[in-house]
Amino acid sequence: MLSDSARSEIQNLMAQYPRARSAILPALYVAQQEIGWLPDEAMDEIALLFGMEPAEVYAIAGFYNMFYKEPKGKFHLEICTNVPCMLRGSGNIADYLQERLGIGFGETTADGNFSLDHMECLGSCATGPVVFARRSQSAWGRYFENLTPGQVDVMLDELLLEDALPGEQTPARPYHHDHHPETNYLLARIDKPHSHKIETYLADGGYETARKALAMEPAEVIETVKKAGVRGRGGAGFPAGVKWGFIPKDIYPRYLVVNADESEPGTFKDRLILEFDPHQLLEGIICTSWAIQAHYAFVYVRGEYMFAQERMKTAIAEAKAKGFLGKGIFGSDFDLEVIIHSGAGAYICGEETALLSSLEGYRGHPRLKPPFPAVAGLYAKPTIVNNVETISHVRHVMEHGADWYRQWGTERSPGLQLISLSGQVKKPGVYEIPYGMTFRELIYDYAGGTVDDRPIKSIIPGGLSMPQILPDALDVGIDFESIVGAGSMLGSGGVIVICEGESIIPIARRAMSFYVEESCGKCTPCREGGSWMEKILKRIEAGEGTLEDLETMARVTKYIDQQSFCPFGPASVWGLQSTLRLFGDEYKDFILETNPNGHKPDIPVRPIYRADSGELHENLLDDATLAPLVP
Amino acid sequence: MSDWITITIDGQEIKAKNGELLTAAAARAGIDIPVFCSHPKLDPLGACRMCLVEQEGPRGKALVTACTTPVRDGAIFHYESEKAIDARQGTMELILINHPLDCPICDKGGECPLQNQALEHGTGKSHFWEEKRHKAKGYPLSDLVMLDQERCILCWRCIRYLQEWEDKPQLGLFHRGGETVVDKFPEGELDAYTSGSIIDICPVGALTNRLSRFSYRPWDIDRTPSICTHCAQGCNLIIDSRNNEVRRHVSRENMAVNDEWICDKGRFATGITKHPDRLQEPLARIDGKLQPVSWQEALQRVVTGLKTIVQRDGPDAVGALGSAKLSNEANYLLGKFMRGMVGTNNIDFREGAALLADPRGVPALADVREADLIVLMGSDPSEEMPVLANLIKRAAKRNGARLIIIHPRRIELAKYADVFLNPTPAEEVALFDALTRATMQARMEAGDEEIPDWLRETEEVESASVEALALAARLTMQAKNPFIVYGADYAWGFGARDIVGALTNWLITAGCEERLGFLHNQANAQGAGDMGILPDYLPGRSPISDRKARSAIETLWQTTLPTQPGLSYGGMIASARGRIKALYIMGSDPVGEKPADADSMKALEFLVVQDVFLTKTAQMADVVLPAASYIESAGTFTNTERRVQRAPQAVRPVGKSVADWAILMHLALRYDPAASAAWKTATISEVFAEIAQVAPMYADMSWENLGEQGQQWDREALPMGKRMHAYSGGSATPTDKRYPYRLVVSSLLWDGGTTFSATSEMAHLASRSARLHPHDAADLGLASGDLVEVLSVAGSIKLPLRVDDSIKPGTVFVPFSLPEAPVGTLFDSQGPRTNVAVLKAAS
Repeated sequence: MLSDSARSEIQNLMAQYPRARSAILPALYVAQQEIGWLPDEAMDEIALLFGMEPAEVYAIAGFYNMFYKEPKGKFHLEICTNVPCMLRGSGNIADYLQERLGIGFGETTADGNFSLDHMECLGSCATGPVVFARRSQSAWGRYFENLTPGQVDVMLDELLLEDALPGEQTPARPYHHDHHPETNYLLARIDKPHSHKIETYLADGGYETARKALAMEPAEVIETVKKAGVRGRGGAGFPAGVKWGFIPKDIYPRYLVVNADESEPGTFKDRLILEFDPHQLLEGIICTSWAIQAHYAFVYVRGEYMFAQERMKTAIAEAKAKGFLGKGIFGSDFDLEVIIHSGAGAYICGEETALLSSLEGYRGHPRLKPPFPAVAGLYAKPTIVNNVETISHVRHVMEHGADWYRQWGTERSPGLQLISLSGQVKKPGVYEIPYGMTFRELIYDYAGGTVDDRPIKSIIPGGLSMPQILPDALDVGIDFESIVGAGSMLGSGGVIVICEGESIIPIARRAMSFYVEESCGKCTPCREGGSWMEKILKRIEAGEGTLEDLETMARVTKYIDQQSFCPFGPASVWGLQSTLRLFGDEYKDFILETNPNGHKPDIPVRPIYRADSGELHENLLDDATLAPLVP
Repeated sequence: MSDWITITIDGQEIKAKNGELLTAAAARAGIDIPVFCSHPKLDPLGACRMCLVEQEGPRGKALVTACTTPVRDGAIFHYESEKAIDARQGTMELILINHPLDCPICDKGGECPLQNQALEHGTGKSHFWEEKRHKAKGYPLSDLVMLDQERCILCWRCIRYLQEWEDKPQLGLFHRGGETVVDKFPEGELDAYTSGSIIDICPVGALTNRLSRFSYRPWDIDRTPSICTHCAQGCNLIIDSRNNEVRRHVSRENMAVNDEWICDKGRFATGITKHPDRLQEPLARIDGKLQPVSWQEALQRVVTGLKTIVQRDGPDAVGALGSAKLSNEANYLLGKFMRGMVGTNNIDFREGAALLADPRGVPALADVREADLIVLMGSDPSEEMPVLANLIKRAAKRNGARLIIIHPRRIELAKYADVFLNPTPAEEVALFDALTRATMQARMEAGDEEIPDWLRETEEVESASVEALALAARLTMQAKNPFIVYGADYAWGFGARDIVGALTNWLITAGCEERLGFLHNQANAQGAGDMGILPDYLPGRSPISDRKARSAIETLWQTTLPTQPGLSYGGMIASARGRIKALYIMGSDPVGEKPADADSMKALEFLVVQDVFLTKTAQMADVVLPAASYIESAGTFTNTERRVQRAPQAVRPVGKSVADWAILMHLALRYDPAASAAWKTATISEVFAEIAQVAPMYADMSWENLGEQGQQWDREALPMGKRMHAYSGGSATPTDKRYPYRLVVSSLLWDGGTTFSATSEMAHLASRSARLHPHDAADLGLASGDLVEVLSVAGSIKLPLRVDDSIKPGTVFVPFSLPEAPVGTLFDSQGPRTNVAVLKAAS
């Protein structure tokens, strides 16, 4: 069913990785690009190419949302309805899209032109509402940002008229960093014309740092990063240099994996680096790979960041042409291959062990720790997984030194940090701030205050997963330790501002729906508990809640928090727990108002089904598997 | 890592092995930590979160999963703490919210870990008011296994079993989050040969036995610990029956034999006790037709028939065929009757004298686990012994065991092989000689040996590169703990003597001939030989010329034994038109296997067949004695590693059928009532006790002390010196232009034989085709599904064709045991190693 060219493309992809199986997601993309979706026959064929059981391929394809298991319209439009976009009015645009196309979510227009779906965070929180548009039979998709109904019309007309997606995306640049240019390092070049090109990068002194690092002993590089105290920006804040030091001696090969699976709602900082200053990341990769002596660096970019992937691939080609990547970089005898690996729509792959499972060509399930990746990671070899921003900081630390870095921030959270600010503020965007700066300064000074100067109801300080804090924490410093003191965590630095007038219940419900959608399904508490919580929240929203539900949620979220396999479980309920804690009265009032008699829901009875007789006949499946009752 | 350390659980200090999982350490101390995803035979996963306990650490107590936590000295755990109990209750509540709780109609109810643990670790109350998730129910994964996705709690055991033991991940988790289900590829089927194991390890009723479901309740069955007799591995299982009907087979652990797995043939092909065609009563030929008679009359006819001939033509005019499928006791008593009472050594079985098997089988099956090298020659465990095949895969994949495979087909295990050599039939001797030469060359480079003259002249072997030969030579020479076996493909028929000689030469050269063993196919081929069902060996494998052994038996049997070697299986049939006037055939069907033998049977004056079915041979008999199947009678079987195991009676015999050994007892007492002092074994344990007296290697065994894991007789009890074997070549059948293909014959798991066909739900699985390589098929203008005629000098059979690229070009593969196309039809005087032609047949 696949063309010869697709087959040979897949074989080339297989050869690109140390182990062929890693090319399974890329191969599925190739098949989907050619056919428009993934019929069973295509998966069967891919299984044969990879020497796998078809069930394995099917299981993998089913895990990742960007693979179509059924045909889609010519264009597939997905609108983000997650909390940050919701706060920016994506609900209206979603309604408008449905009305304009005359279809609901999950449907395709009668003419087969458009399929519409709602979508989880696209990393466009400051420029929402946003639609991710793909042409089903192509590898290309792009964002349409800052959408208004008028722009939706333009978008739809343009797509139909051109019968194609515009190839070059000119994304909105959602940042306002001119307040304190003296702290702009990571963002310093973002506004320059052609900031992503190697020529402009070289003109700014680019790749000199990498050259310098290669002249140092690897241990020295690690020592410098350790001394600077660069903390991981993916969420946990673990010191990068210390992590690198965990690599066992004498075990090779080693791998660097850059986590660019930025999917935490409210976080969109890495996207800026990937799209507008990819060379600073590459330079950071070179420094880091040298430090840990890795000859392969993988950048795992979330699937929706297609534009970022293109920019990274171009940057790698440019750097390769200059001899900065590939065999014997900078004339040394050090080889370094950088491979851009596209995710395919699975938030959990931001968790480092799940990312490694995915990169190895499996479903993105997290793995047991220990062993930690630094000891046994990719292909069970020592592997350092760091966030895009972390690696980018490495480049600047190597240029300016550890003392330079430590001049900013606090003792335990030294340096600068990218904050993704979204929600109901005047100027949402990415800000490069020194650790320790207060929320008040960020929101009122950098971002010009809240929309319509409304009072703040609540702040999510570190991406959607983090517990909410109240405005009384406005003078708390934005650093790992201070936020913990305020009852939350800095996480990935995604600050979402919620103003008075917003109801907390739809926000909590929408957040829970996200985790239910993204749960990998491996462990019981997250898989079963998450969807239970969502069902309760939906019922409360629908006016059928009871006060007992609040107790149940408090109790069950405790199990999810404390008993899940990986950090996703706790992250999925911290927000809910914080709203129950901080806004308990709001829940109560709403429940008492909508269901004053405390009427409990009727427990639905299982539809009657008939067990088959056990005889073998062809239609057994149809016969025995009665369709479930559709609620 | 095996140091003993001390850990504390709930204040109680217990000894544990350093690094073992907490679940295992606790279990030893009698603390049964509940688990679902964890399974002793599978890698830890930590997914279900049922086994949470608190562990004390530097930062206080934390919940950990016992199934993934290795214990270290001084570790402190709390299992019964309030927090740990609450945590487990929480997990249990979450597991149950979407579980259908349809226990009253679930096969697993009564033996269900979820049910048991819900009782022990649940709160008894659900707070879940929402609608449960709906998924597929009663959904067949194959003809054998049913899936209920709603009952499934997603522990992944089934997926992991197929991955870790079968290396066939045919089940996977599909979708994700709450929508996650276990499923198969839509177009695919679960066809791994041990797929049924996932039913046993499923901790809920999600996977059920499609053949047996709804036919029993676990608390209302009689459980008989037994073994499987489909092949010579002798996997341990339990026969569960109710109202004297077999309901199901489940596996039983025996680490020396089958770990805790059985294959799907052993699990599902249980239909023999229920088959409507089972012989219900004795038959005798009256007026030219077989008609029901009483046991008295039937036995009297046998006695009269045999005595008439013995008195007229002498005892050597009578012969008997035993069976590798029947128990030691049945075979032993047949031998005792023929030798001691009739007075002839004309006794053999199909896999007897004609099969060049090492009389000690294989050293030990469990050697595979620790082997650093596995050599398979003319043996295809995937089809012949699937549980062993899984152990081999695991050794290769997990322990880094190297694998050398020499086989006429590219068998499934070939994909794990370091060296796979694919000689055409007739090319084997040259190949083994080349291996011997390569090994000697390697030795010469290191030392002083020289290649003997007879080996110098061997020709080049097409199917082996110099590198492959050198690698095979190096691997065998370096192996410290090899598992080396040859199978029936190389031990039977014309030329086998040279092949076995040549392969033995190679292994002597490599210095590992002591580890060479023979892998039998039939359940009791080893035992039948041990019982002396051979024309020239006595029970206990002493040659009949061994005067001491003979006189010991004569004393016990109170008789005189014939001293001249008797005729072999083939010899007796061939002499049916001459010396042999009467045959007593027990559990064997020569006519079914080779229809041409019907002529011989017809020529006999008197034919007795003792069997469970009215076989092709039985249809020609003068007296047919209905036998009980092994499930309906008791007996012991000796597997291919000489492990003697019990198979007690599980259900009552069908109709008037009687256990084989008991038939022989009655026959003997009727044949010579005066001999009753020597024939007084009235129970199976008494028969076995007599065997222990007669066969020295069974000397220390008794029915009781065989226990439930059996006993292996000492390989050293039968020393076998192996010598280099020189030969002049020319042992292969010459090529013949009229018959351009070499015939390759071996057994497939899904065969067309009686015991398998008896399970009607499975009979359609049998592979009923001849197979050709795609190139050969193309040359002949044939495609899969075409009806073809395979013909040799001896005869022809018609079969549908299957094009299969694992078949070597120039060969045709035909499986054994197809009643509609018995491959024996093609065997000429040289047996299975013959030349054939393939033609498109008119349908």
